[in-house]
Parts: sequence; structure tokens; C-alpha cells
Amino acid sequence: MSAGGSGAAAEAIPQNKIIAFGVVGGLIGIYAAYFLVDIVGSYMSFIGALGAICGMVWGAASVRRVASYGLGTGVPSIGMLALGMGVLAATFGLAVGGVAGPVIALVTAAIIGLMIGVLANKILKMGIPIMEISMTEIATAGTITIIGLAIAMTGTFDFPVVLSQVITTGYIAVIFIAGGLAILHPFNACLGPDETQDRTLMCALEKGAIAMVVAGIVASINEGASGALTILIGLAIWYIGFSGYYERVKRDAYAVVGTGLLPTKEELE
Amino acid sequence: MEPLTGMGVLALMGAAATIAGASEDLESDVGSQSNPNSQVQLAPQMMYPHRIHSKAVSGEPPSNALMCAIGGTTASVLISTGASAVLALAIGAIVAAAIHGTYSITAYMGRSASQKRFKQPVYLDVIRSHTPVIMGYAFITTICILVVSYLMVTALAHPFPLPLLAFIWGITVGAIGSSTGDVHYGAERQFQNVEYGSGLNAANSGNIVRKAESGLRNGIDNSWFCAKFGGPVTGLAFGMTVFLSGWVTAVFDATKGDAIGWVSVIAGVIIVLMLILWNRNIEVAARAAYGPYKEDEAEAEVAA
Amino acid sequence: MIDIAGILMANIVYVILITLGGVLISWSVHFVPVGGAPAAMAQATGIGTGTVQLAAGAGLTGLVTAGAMMQITNNAALVLASGAVGAMIMMSVTMIVGTWVYAYGVGCPPASAKVKYDPITKDRQDLYVSQGTEGHGLPTVSYVSGVIGGALGGIGGSLVYYALMSINNGLALPDLVGMASVFAVGIFFVNAVIPSYNIGGTIEGFHDPKFKRFPKAVLASLIATFFCALISVLAIGGM
Repeated sequence: MSAGGSGAAAEAIPQNKIIAFGVVGGLIGIYAAYFLVDIVGSYMSFIGALGAICGMVWGAASVRRVASYGLGTGVPSIGMLALGMGVLAATFGLAVGGVAGPVIALVTAAIIGLMIGVLANKILKMGIPIMEISMTEIATAGTITIIGLAIAMTGTFDFPVVLSQVITTGYIAVIFIAGGLAILHPFNACLGPDETQDRTLMCALEKGAIAMVVAGIVASINEGASGALTILIGLAIWYIGFSGYYERVKRDAYAVVGTGLLPTKEELE
Repeated sequence: MEPLTGMGVLALMGAAATIAGASEDLESDVGSQSNPNSQVQLAPQMMYPHRIHSKAVSGEPPSNALMCAIGGTTASVLISTGASAVLALAIGAIVAAAIHGTYSITAYMGRSASQKRFKQPVYLDVIRSHTPVIMGYAFITTICILVVSYLMVTALAHPFPLPLLAFIWGITVGAIGSSTGDVHYGAERQFQNVEYGSGLNAANSGNIVRKAESGLRNGIDNSWFCAKFGGPVTGLAFGMTVFLSGWVTAVFDATKGDAIGWVSVIAGVIIVLMLILWNRNIEVAARAAYGPYKEDEAEAEVAA
Repeated sequence: MIDIAGILMANIVYVILITLGGVLISWSVHFVPVGGAPAAMAQATGIGTGTVQLAAGAGLTGLVTAGAMMQITNNAALVLASGAVGAMIMMSVTMIVGTWVYAYGVGCPPASAKVKYDPITKDRQDLYVSQGTEGHGLPTVSYVSGVIGGALGGIGGSLVYYALMSINNGLALPDLVGMASVFAVGIFFVNAVIPSYNIGGTIEGFHDPKFKRFPKAVLASLIATFFCALISVLAIGGM
């Protein structure tokens, strides 16, 4: 699965805007869900998943940027790395931080990511110019994803609740992999010379919505969170994401046909 | 636990794992997932557009881990509400298969659309015909993995929770499937147009077979071929992994003392040594049967 | 806030053990003969899949075995040994079935393109490499290397898990198992990806010239895992 070209990817939306979208959107989603669940009611827990989707879209954009340089191995490796770092940072941040937990988790993730990026370029000599910044971004995005989905499942990021309802029960595994695939799948699925940024990110939105639906399934047995609303909104976002993706596929593809033979020799020339 | 009960549970787990391995491999063959996908991906670039499903869902281990973790999560949620285990596992596997269907659709569309300059069309009927097959295999894989994980948690009292065990076995079945059965698809089925009995010459890269016994070849034709060898042996591989790694501790039960635990370790090492010898045996036989590619080497030197 | 220095001092031995486990995982990946995508077309020696995934598959199988063993014994050596056995079985079963497919399904003998003679069996290799390929299948040296890689990965993963489970803490057992298994999986993935970037995704085994690069990955893993170990110990020890 060696993949990716060698060089910077074309960007319609500059990466800085996506970083801002991911960090600000993610933190707003996480804290809004945390406070609104207390103030308004448990059905506000879905906002946490919206924050997670911001994180996943950001992560997918960063994977797209760094994997365009060619990693020497498959795109999936970087997604697994992102969530490996993210799960450590998220659990640590929530365990020690109290109400500042998500911020501490983000800072921890940024430190781990930066460190791995520096190690990759300085010791492993990968020679990818944006490795440091991308690793920082990917680890942070993975952490936002994990915390956001955990809130969508439980309605809070208080560690005892997260521990008993997400980690001990093993649902952290589905957060890990559904979040990880939402970050790594979009670029992997759209890989090719005619890949476009908006199509890849639309795919990330769609996969993020799937992670939201799964979080909703878990939320349905937790008192602090509301499953039904999370699932419904997740399905709505999935529909928007999928139809947006299909529109862009029709726009970008050579042809979208119901059925047909292969292109003829004349066509290929 | 009674040794006999333990053996029975283990046999059931091994059987479920064997089915899971076989369906995992066939599922990946229908969609040309994982490493053989690189040739399906390369073909249009070499002027060989095709009608083969191209499902690059992030490599097999993560995609199977996703299916199994979603299935395990849904099942575990249902079981905690009091649903019967059989129903819970089945519904979990249905949810997982449906989500896997969306992943394979986006992957096929995405990769084909990104090959605009090579004029590879997106065929909607390929999606319509292949996605149900992919989802069917995904359902079988997921439910079998869930059975294995559920038995480990309930009957063998494994400390890990169900979703985490399902996730880990998903990674493992994907790793095994992409290491074993996929080679049969990638090295043989995709290149039936070249002589049997050698690796793929780099000069033939991308020149995959695009015509079938009737009409143009698609992914379902590929699973028909791989079901004869690649799929079943993948099943055996995963079944053996689950069975043997449990067998050594079921026969030599470490709860009776550390000494017996060490016997189980020794038994495991002996199994591994036997497998090394078996590999050597096949190596010698294959070298004798297929012989050196001596003329090939001389030609290669002339060409160089 | 928690007593950071106190927790670290009390558990310093586990920080070291976790770091050691991470380093072992990182080293183990260099032994696993992985040919990446070309190997799936019998175009390169090794197993036809990605490094990270195969290492994870073997190591996590070892983790499952070690987790089961940890329930019933406190003997560290036995936990590590059963983790190693679980991973070795997974790896050797995968490789033997891979050999079936190469020998009976594709019809080519195992051959390495990196060395002229197999260091273990002394068999001539270059004549058995088919035209236009860089070897195929798993010659004995790669197979043995893979078994060693599986064993080291299993020991590394179990060591991380064992150390995490042994940290002084106030958690109930199921909660501790949950946290320890999640941290172990996270640390495992980080340490499986670092070496695969080091070897560029493919390697034939310990006879491959790329194997000499392992000190770089080991150093990188040492630094990265040390930091991961600190935060895991703080998170679990602070409970």
C-alpha cells in the first residue's frame, strides 16, 4: 500500500483556516456539550460529536497534506499513529485535568506529536518538510476526536464517568478505530493524481457522521447523554456529507455511468 | 473450568474463526482491498481501464477492526439492555456491515474519480452489484469474530471487554487475510494472462486481466476464483491462530500452578518449531519442483 | 493537582519497564519480513502486507494471551513468555499459510533477492528469483526472523501491559484493566509506526541491509515511549 506522490498538495482552503476550524470548533463543541448538558439537559450531548467532527475533518486535511509527500508505507499507518498518540493524551488529560482536562490533553498531544515529528525528521531522516507541524496537528486532531466522541457517549468529560462508561466497557476501542478511520480513510479513499481537497474533506465529514452515529448508539444506554438525538443528527449530517461527496465525485470523475463497456482505444488516446 | 468444556469452547471458537478468516479474504477480493489494490489502481494509468471494484478502505486490518469494533459495541450495548446474546451479536454485525458498505462505496468512487486523467469511469452498476456482496461477507466476518470474542469474555473469563477483544481480533484477522489469501488474488488471479509459476515481472505491472469467462471481469468473478484456495487457507490461518494460542493454555491450564503455565509456553514453542520445519520442508520441495529460473537470469543479464 | 514527583518516584521502575517494552516492540518490527504491496504480487520477498498492521496483529494477539495469563498468575516471566508465545504462534501460522499460497497457489519457490546464500540453510538464492522480481515467498531465514520478531513484539507488548497493571493505584480491577489495555494498545501503535517509517515499509528480515538501521528507530522509540510512559504512569498512578 505504498502510496502518495512527492510534493505539496494543492489546497483550495488554506491549512491555517482548517487548523483554526479544528481547534476552535473542537474546543467549543467539547466545552459547550459539557456545560449545556448540565444547564439544559442531557440531550445536548450531541454537540460533543460535532466538536469531534471538526477534529476529524482537520485530521483528514493534515493527513492529506503530509501523506502527499509519500510516507514509504501506507496512509493507514499515520492514522493509527494519530489515534495511538491521541488516546494516550486524551486519557492523561482527562485523568489529571478536571475541568481543564481537554486543554491539558490537547497540549500533551501537541507535545507528543511535535516530538514524534522531530524524531522522524532528525533521527529517522524522513526528510518531509512539514512532518513536525503535521504530526502535531494529527495528534491534536486525534485527541479532539476522542474527547468529543467520549462526551457524545457520556455527556461529560469527568474522568470517573468516562472511565466507567467508555474505557472499562471497552467502547474506547470503537472511538479509537472509528475516529482513526475518519481521519485516515478520506485521503486514502480519494488517493490519485486528480484528488481534490473539498472532495476529500467532504468524505471526512461523512465518515465523521458515522462515528457520531456509533457514539449515539452507546449514548442510548448512558443516563448523562441522549442517544436518539445524536443518532438522528448524525444521520442527517451523513446524508449531507454523502450527497455532497457524490456531487463532487460526479464533478471530478472522467465519467459517472450507470453501466457500460470500457473506454475505447480512441477515447484513451 | 472443566477441561472438556474448555476444549468444546475452544473448538467452537476455532470453527467460527475459520469461517471469519475465509469470508474476510473473499470480502477483500470482491473489492480488491489492500495490497493487490495497487495493481487495480495502476491499471488505468497503464492504459488498462477496468470494471473491477477498487475498495481502498485503509488496508484490511483497520477496516476489519472497524467492523468488529462497531459490531462489538452495538452488541455490548444491546446485551447491557437485556437482549439475548444471539440477537445482539446479529444486530451488531448488521450495523457493522451497513457501515462497511458506506466505506466501500466512498472508496470505489473516490479512487476512480481521482483517476480522471487516465479516463477511468465510475460504473454505478459495479457499486450496485458489489456492495451487497461485500456487506454480506462483512456480516459473516463480523458475526464470527463477535462469537469468538463473546465466548472468550463469557466462557473463558478473559479480562478485556467485548468491544476491545473484537477490535483486536479484527486487526488480527485483517493482518492474516492481507498476508495470506490476498497473495493468491494479487499474484495469481490478477495475472492469469502470464505464465503460471513465477512472481509478477515488474514489466507486467498494471496489466491485470480485465476480461472474464463471459463479459468483462469484475470483483465477484475474482471471489469465485479465490474461494477455491485463497479464502479457505486464510480461514485455516485465522482458525489455527485462535485455536492454537488458546489450545496451549486450555490443555496445560496455568490456574493449576506456574509450572503447568511454563509447560504451556514450551508447548507453544514446540508448535512454532514444528511450523519452522514445515516451512523448510515446503521450501525444499518447491525449489525442487519449480527449479531455478536460470535461463531467466541469463536473459535478465543480457537485457541489462 | 496530583503529586507528580511523588507518583513518578514511586513508580520509576515501571516507567523504565514501559520504555523498555516500547523499545522491544520497535526493535521487533525490524525482524518481521514484510514486503508490502509488491510481496502480494510475489514481486518482493516477505509477507504481502504492511509492517504496522502485521506487527500490530501479532503483538495484539500476544497482548490477548498475556491479558488472560495475567488474570491467573503474578509471575512476570510467565506473563511475558505467554505473550511471546501468542505472538509467535500468530506470526508463524500466518507465515506458513503464506508459504502454502506462494508454493501451491502462485507456484514459485521462496527466494531472497538481498543475499546470495540463505545464512541459515546455505541455499543459493539468486537463481530462484524469478525474472523481473525482487524475490518472493519466505526463505527459512526470513521465517526464523519473523518468529523472532513475533516473540520480541509479544514480549514488548506484554511488558508494557504488565508494567501498566503493576503501577500503584487506587483503581478497581476492571477499570485498571481497561486503562492498561488502552494505554498498551496506544503505545503499541506508536512503536509499530516509528520503525516502519525507518525501514520505508519493507524489509526481508535480519539479513536485510536495512536491518542495520534499527538503532535509529530504537532511539526514536526510546524517547517517544519514555514520554508516553511518564503520562501513562501519571494517569494511572494518580487515580
